[in-house]
Amino acid sequence: MNKDAQMRAAINQKLIETGERERLKELLRAKLIECGWKDQLKAHCKEVIKEKGLEHVTVDDLVAEITPKG
Amino acid sequence: MFSPGAQAIAQEIYADLVEDSCLGFCFEVHRAVKCGYFFLDDTDPDSMKDFEIVDQPGLDIFGQVFNQWKSKECVCPNCSRSIAASRFAPHLEKCLGMGRNSSRIANRRIANSNNMNKSESDQEDNDDINDNDWSYGSEKKGVCRAWGNLGGSGASQEEKIRQGESRGKHEGNYNNSTGISYETLGPEELRSLLTTLIFLFQQCGVISEHTKKMCTRSLRCPQHTDEQRRAVRIYFLGPSAVLPEVESSLDNDSFDMTDSQALISRLQWDGSSDLSPSDSGSSKTSENQGWGLGTNSSESRKTKKKKSHLSLVGTASGLGSNKKKKPKPPAPPTPSIYDDIN
Repeated sequence: MNKDAQMRAAINQKLIETGERERLKELLRAKLIECGWKDQLKAHCKEVIKEKGLEHVTVDDLVAEITPKG
Repeated sequence: MFSPGAQAIAQEIYADLVEDSCLGFCFEVHRAVKCGYFFLDDTDPDSMKDFEIVDQPGLDIFGQVFNQWKSKECVCPNCSRSIAASRFAPHLEKCLGMGRNSSRIANRRIANSNNMNKSESDQEDNDDINDNDWSYGSEKKGVCRAWGNLGGSGASQEEKIRQGESRGKHEGNYNNSTGISYETLGPEELRSLLTTLIFLFQQCGVISEHTKKMCTRSLRCPQHTDEQRRAVRIYFLGPSAVLPEVESSLDNDSFDMTDSQALISRLQWDGSSDLSPSDSGSSKTSENQGWGLGTNSSESRKTKKKKSHLSLVGTASGLGSNKKKKPKPPAPPTPSIYDDIN
């Protein structure tokens, strides 16, 4: 387990160093938008906001709600 | 491809990335809500229905019919005619005279009508005006009325023929009273007339139906008959035109060559220099006569056959006598000199 964690950390670090991670993140965003994932998420957000009322929504609430769905 | 351990790690990395994206998205939404622009892209249901995507056959995605405007007719503000919509723009261009093409057509028409007017008014009284253009202004007699025909020489062969036709009818009336319109010709026109003349003396010259051009083969061209050649010459030179003899090949060629070369050199010289109007007096005319006859006489001494000479000179003098405005005596000197030669 430790070794795995270590390896994971090492890999992550490498990714960040080379800038690969950023590139991957942009790529992922583009793909998600393309396939409509973002729009679905948005709709879900709207529902949550309507439920909870416009004024009192917090970031954490949103995160908690939609991340699992995502 | 990857080992399962690596795959697991890749999976985790991917999950991290997705989480990051979600988080970022949440931040955007939250900010939108707080700033109040989150619901801005939602319209009310009524408008949503108006702009719904249309998917019926025959309509485009907005629900419009394809060629609805083709059959509609508009009224032209200029000529008050009702024109089909798809033809409206070109019609307007021609009608108002403001497009590129319409100005070109108008210019051509003006040029044509100028040519026609010029050559026709020449036949009346343009001595003074046109002496500057063509130094031998007083020599309206002389070569042939075909020069006048061909003198609208920006035109194509076809138009020349047409002009020839129309003028043929006119000149039936004008025969003895009209001059030659070539007095208004510039040097370029002279040269073109000259080449045409050369055609008629040395080449077949029959006008092809589909290209409207003169046949440039020799006088013995097998595609055309002598009748056709004679007809062409009569067309251009008048009823007294004689077909150059073909049998006397050697003599005829030499004669024609010298004659036409002399003609060329003479006219080129004339075309290049501007002679004053005072020069264009009778001196020029006699010079012309003398020249024409001079070469003929020299040639006749060299050559054995006289028929060709006589025919060509006869043509020239015959035409000259036909086409003068003021009566001058070209005929009497001609036979006399020939008598001397003979």
